[in-house]
Amino acid sequence: MSAEPNLDAVFSALADPTRRAILERLSAGQATVNEIAAPFEMSQPAVSRHLKVLEQAGLIERDIDQQRRPARLKAAHMSAAADWLAEFEHFWTTSFNQLDDVLAGMKLANLEDKTRE
Amino acid sequence: MSELPEYILDRIFDAPRDMVWKAWTDPELLARWYGPGVETIIHEFNPVVGGFWLNEMKWGDKSMLSTAEFTQVEEHKLLVWNHSSADENWNVVANPMMPDWPTTLLTTVTFEDVGEKTKVRLVWTPVDASEAEITCFAGMMNKMGGGWESGYAIMDEIFAELQA
Repeated sequence: MSAEPNLDAVFSALADPTRRAILERLSAGQATVNEIAAPFEMSQPAVSRHLKVLEQAGLIERDIDQQRRPARLKAAHMSAAADWLAEFEHFWTTSFNQLDDVLAGMKLANLEDKTRE
Repeated sequence: MSELPEYILDRIFDAPRDMVWKAWTDPELLARWYGPGVETIIHEFNPVVGGFWLNEMKWGDKSMLSTAEFTQVEEHKLLVWNHSSADENWNVVANPMMPDWPTTLLTTVTFEDVGEKTKVRLVWTPVDASEAEITCFAGMMNKMGGGWESGYAIMDEIFAELQA
């Protein structure tokens, strides 16, 4: 797995509600395919396919040497995705806070113009 | 995909609508607030249909260029443009940080009176996007629009873990 997360793969993986539910399940602790499949009324191969997408996106990891191959969350890539989102949101929130200041300055200037009249 | 994902951001500004409009359409004022903590240089700004807003954001030794072509302009009411990252010749390019981010986003800004204040609504939606771009955008918008409760909760948990 590369050190740099592929954000496109991460977001594609996260775009699916079942995969997000699987991640939520894994946030409670590692689990096997059987354990993950149970609440979803989904076949094990279907769950395995979702796990593969999540694994390729670097969001989860699975033990290779154990037969049960429990899956667990990998926090780093998730956090990179969240960083990108946070940056986009930050861009607009901060810009709008700056716009508040600009508007306050414009109002003040208008007021001073009126006082002078 | 029949319906394109969109992201909506609302904000109320404590100023009359003509003033808010001016802050968005006077390039000197726009450069003072657009871009968080960066130096914004507006190379061209012509808010008429077919006109361009060529924008540069500088921080440290980095620089990010974007181009916007206005497609609808109604004074004091509506600004619509196609927004893309740009190369040094102002050609449209894919987002350098995220290739599957939609290359062009239709950005619609509406201005509306709310008493003495002004409500600004921004809506983004991908233009001529590939399936990969739409999926990438939808994945993110789900999260940002607040409709993504479980994913959001996971991220909160992970942040808490990382910070612990």
